[in-house]
Amino acid sequence: MIKFILRRLLVTIPVLLGIVFLVFALARLVPGDPCRAILGERATDAVCNDFIARYGLDQPIPIQFGKYLEQLASGDLGNSIKHSRPVTELLIERLPTTIELTVLAMLLAISVGVPLGLLSAYRRNSPVDVGTMMFANLGVSIPVFVLGLLLAFLFAIVLKDTPFSLPPSGRLSSGVSVEPLAEVWGLESWTGPPRAILDFVSGIYIFSGLISGQWGAAADAFRHLILPAIALGTIPLAIIARITRSSLLEVMGLDYVRTARAKGLGERAVILRHAARNALLPVVTIIGLQLGALLSGAVLTETVFNLAGVGRSLFEAISGRDYVVIQGFTLLIAVTYVTVNLIVDVSYGFLDPRIRPS
Amino acid sequence: MNRSPKWSPLVALAATLALVFAACGTAATSPSATTAPATPAPSAEASTSPFEGTVYPETGEAPCGVAPYTGQLKKITAVDALTVEFQLCGPDAAFLPKIAFSAFGIHDSDYLAAHAADGSYLDQPNGTGPYTLKEWSKGNRMVFEAFDGYWGDKALTPNLEFRWSDEAAQRLLELQSGNVDGIDNPGTSDIATIQADSSLQFAPRPGLNTMYLGFNNTIKPWDDVRVRQAIAMGINRQQIVDNFYPAGSTVADYFTPCEIPFACEGDKTWGFDPTAAKQLLADAGFPNGFETKIQFRAAVRGYLPDPPVIATEIQQQLKANLGITATLDLQESGAFLDANAAGTLEGIFILGWGADYPDPSNFLDYHFGSGSGKKFGAPFKGIVDALNTGVASADPAARTAAYTIANNQIKENVPAVIIAHGASGAAYKADVKNAYASVFGAEVFATMKAGDRDTFVFMQNAEPLSLYCGDESDGETLRACEMVNESLYRYEVGGAASIPSLATECTANADSTVWTCKLRPGVKFHDGADLDANDVVVSYAVEWDTQHPLRKGRSGAFEYFPGLWGGFLNPPAS
Amino acid sequence: MNEQPQPLAASDPLIADPIATTRPASLWRDTIGGVLRQRSAVVGLAILSLLVFVAVFAPLIATHDPDGRLLGVEEGVTQRAAPCIHLLGCPADEPQHLFGTDGNFRDVFSRVVYGARTSLVIGFAAIGFAIIVGTAIGALAGYVGGWLDNVLMRLMDIVLAFPSLLLAIAIVTAVGASLINALFAIGIVSVPIYARVARASVLATKESDYVTASRALGESGFGILIRRIMPNSLTPLIVQGTLGIGGAVLEIAALAFVGVTGDLSRPEWGSMIGLERNQLFNAPHIILAPGLAITLTVLAFNLLGDGLRDALDPRLNR
Repeated sequence: MIKFILRRLLVTIPVLLGIVFLVFALARLVPGDPCRAILGERATDAVCNDFIARYGLDQPIPIQFGKYLEQLASGDLGNSIKHSRPVTELLIERLPTTIELTVLAMLLAISVGVPLGLLSAYRRNSPVDVGTMMFANLGVSIPVFVLGLLLAFLFAIVLKDTPFSLPPSGRLSSGVSVEPLAEVWGLESWTGPPRAILDFVSGIYIFSGLISGQWGAAADAFRHLILPAIALGTIPLAIIARITRSSLLEVMGLDYVRTARAKGLGERAVILRHAARNALLPVVTIIGLQLGALLSGAVLTETVFNLAGVGRSLFEAISGRDYVVIQGFTLLIAVTYVTVNLIVDVSYGFLDPRIRPS
Repeated sequence: MNRSPKWSPLVALAATLALVFAACGTAATSPSATTAPATPAPSAEASTSPFEGTVYPETGEAPCGVAPYTGQLKKITAVDALTVEFQLCGPDAAFLPKIAFSAFGIHDSDYLAAHAADGSYLDQPNGTGPYTLKEWSKGNRMVFEAFDGYWGDKALTPNLEFRWSDEAAQRLLELQSGNVDGIDNPGTSDIATIQADSSLQFAPRPGLNTMYLGFNNTIKPWDDVRVRQAIAMGINRQQIVDNFYPAGSTVADYFTPCEIPFACEGDKTWGFDPTAAKQLLADAGFPNGFETKIQFRAAVRGYLPDPPVIATEIQQQLKANLGITATLDLQESGAFLDANAAGTLEGIFILGWGADYPDPSNFLDYHFGSGSGKKFGAPFKGIVDALNTGVASADPAARTAAYTIANNQIKENVPAVIIAHGASGAAYKADVKNAYASVFGAEVFATMKAGDRDTFVFMQNAEPLSLYCGDESDGETLRACEMVNESLYRYEVGGAASIPSLATECTANADSTVWTCKLRPGVKFHDGADLDANDVVVSYAVEWDTQHPLRKGRSGAFEYFPGLWGGFLNPPAS
Repeated sequence: MNEQPQPLAASDPLIADPIATTRPASLWRDTIGGVLRQRSAVVGLAILSLLVFVAVFAPLIATHDPDGRLLGVEEGVTQRAAPCIHLLGCPADEPQHLFGTDGNFRDVFSRVVYGARTSLVIGFAAIGFAIIVGTAIGALAGYVGGWLDNVLMRLMDIVLAFPSLLLAIAIVTAVGASLINALFAIGIVSVPIYARVARASVLATKESDYVTASRALGESGFGILIRRIMPNSLTPLIVQGTLGIGGAVLEIAALAFVGVTGDLSRPEWGSMIGLERNQLFNAPHIILAPGLAITLTVLAFNLLGDGLRDALDPRLNR
């Protein structure tokens, strides 16, 4: 088993190197220089030449790549050209929003998708099954941005002044704020990485509000995330429901389930006690794989709901030619993806010995 | 209450540094400085030690007219604690509108000394304005609270919150759902909805801007003046304004909007005449039109409220009126501006200009003056000469004569096809008192009252980039800076005239080459420091001199300064 | 299902049964029969046929020129007019527009109809490209094995590590915003999926008896790959491809929505929504009509793909 993990880790290294290279190459392939993208039409040629030189963008690409690698090796993601601040600082600001959004969307997808899938397998071909699968099919077919716009319209305008009205954008209502943990816990003297981690956690409003007892603010943050989470979570929800259903149906055909059934166990007991546990194995894998899709969806969801998360910041960086942010953010996303899949692979190896290579 | 990890120790450090600076007195003393403050100085250290005025450059003066210096500023002197003298290289008729511009806000020199080097003043501003920054949750919102020590009328609503969304529909949604009190730039088709809604009010913003179609006169077929004239006559501008611009927008007859003095002298541009236009095209050898591109960017501006829709309309008109087949080439904003500056846009490009300050030189010189570069190909000498005369003169009759020639030459040579002045506006909840929209997009929220709520929430198009505006040019950023920082003059509420702000008056000598500004006594910065003449000298010097030790900014480009004052001291070698 | 659980694991006709490949006619008859027994596939096929019909006969179905501005052409036309159908009680003095008009006085119905062409062509072409390139890579990797397998599949891992939409946006921005570039960008980000599918089925059949037999009979390596091994990859590739086209239609719409497909004059569903998304509240029809069209198209491919999967290869059902 250890050998298997080591092998998977070794394989990851060239992939990570390739990612670093691709990220850099893609960022530099984007035409147009960042000067006018950032300074606008008022910038003169002289101002721009000076600007480009200041960021070292006039040097040959290989040299820039060398410098970038050197920087990365020392754990530095560089400074954003547009914001003139470290990319790590930007990440600490933007990542909590995306984490909150994707986790909520995923929780929604799992907590609704799995039961729906089980139910529709249990009542196969019943109206419930047909309805669920029609819903699942629709769910994966409707574009995130269309669904988001419709939800915003429905809950913010049509249901305005009813108890169901929900805010269409932003993270908190005006006047409401989640006090940072450092202040709540009197840790303002902290500095360096521990403080950065603390501030990072503070940025996850619902979580930090809950652990520091700011119930009202946490609830407000949650209300703001309901619509985005539904918009983002619908596709994974539909996929999870479909996979749960088909995976359960497949398992039900296997010998041990027939045996269980032959023992005279009721259908519900067969499903819950025997079949479901194994049927959920592929579901776990899919949840890991959905991460990339969720981040893709987050770009659109964050745009529609005006959330300053990683996806939107990255999209803005691409159109604004902020190379350093493009590099830093994509690198982080890609590395996260690789790590999550590594974990999924390894844990799958634990759960199902057949997967392990000889 | 900022959550970024490094601020609290920094504020302490800054305070210490400020004390040290105060104790040592200002390092650079000047022989020309007067001895005693003219008015009773309100601050503790100033009353115990005599005011020592600085001068910039510290020795001598800027080398007017000697390359590489291209600027108009010669020397800035703190004559006494409340008097600043600006010496210019030549007469400047637009001095007051320029010093009123928000990029030239006045900062405390000690605060700059303490907070410029590490850039912390970018999001920890210290100004004299009616609001102080309370919290900037990056990406999400910016919260201000009223400044108790403000020299003028205190802000009517105690808290102010800025939020942003680049989608007009989302801004309207937030306003309608009651989450915000005001929004900037509602969509063209939403204005009627707002006006019909009794719970909302619409504040129009006159179009102090111009949308035009440009082409490079060194690229075929635009090198033929008949083709350029044909386009000018072949576009039905009235139809564009009527159908695709908000109410209050007007067809542009001159390149500079007529609200600006000396703008509308000479002949109006060509009227719509498709028959004559087709004839001109035929004369130029294109009886059946030709193929080209319409190049534009998606950025929504006051002059271009709905870029793709207006571009499509122009495409349709070119086809219907002139037989010209154009494809729509939507470009990324930065790449588009680059290509424009480099003169490589080969088709018709849609661009525009919004006023920075109310003077024709702000519109015409940038586009058609001697320093306009390759945007439209080769500049026209007749236009350049007239513009040079116009900007250097302080005599109204001479300026009128110069801009008459300039406008007639622009009509004749058609460097660009002038289309429209786009109105826009802001929308507010009906219970917001004194709601208005500034022509420059510089609303003073301190004078508005948000019903009985204690927080006024305003949603604009985009997040401000920093709160030090000496190095900013984007309107969304300037608007936020204006809450915190003030300039010597400002633009009147609801108008375009320049009126005193931190200065009580600025007067010129006979040929308007020396301007003397008297500062308002008793003005305090948010950190309690007093405003004095040295603050003005340093605030200008850091923007002026590329070698100034306190020059930092966000991007370091300081692009507005050379735009308005001609050039930097110690310009970077290109 | 209580009485008759499907014997899912019992047979795997396409991969395990080499004889099947020698009876193509019967295989296809079985296949089509199998597909038609799947309700979802029938529904999907019906919607898809309708869409193809609309795309092919767009000029006959469209009521107006999709690019033609009606301002000054048609009496009484208004900007962003709501749908007006005379049969449903719209006043006769208003011009009839089934889905209303857009911001440039164009007929939305006609633009949606023509938009079917763009979406279907781009969807098929992008996935076709991905299948061809992906299959070539996957088959090569699986058949040759060793270091080549490692290098190729690690390359695929790298591409997979990026969120596909972001990678596609970056590619299009890098090479220039146009519909063709968007097509290739979507193709490129989809390649790894097909490479994996192809490699898996090559690995599954490489060592089977009939392949060994072919080798013993002196058939060349390449010939074996093409004639004996690849036919077995066809089913999973078709199933994956059908589902993939749905995804590609969504992605092209998303790219157009964020405005990186260039050429705005072309009637395209995603850009119709993107350009008019600020009109959601005062003219929702401009967004709903193409939004519905996208949903319907993706739905058709998903239903068909699901049906194909159930019919052809129950074991892929995970």
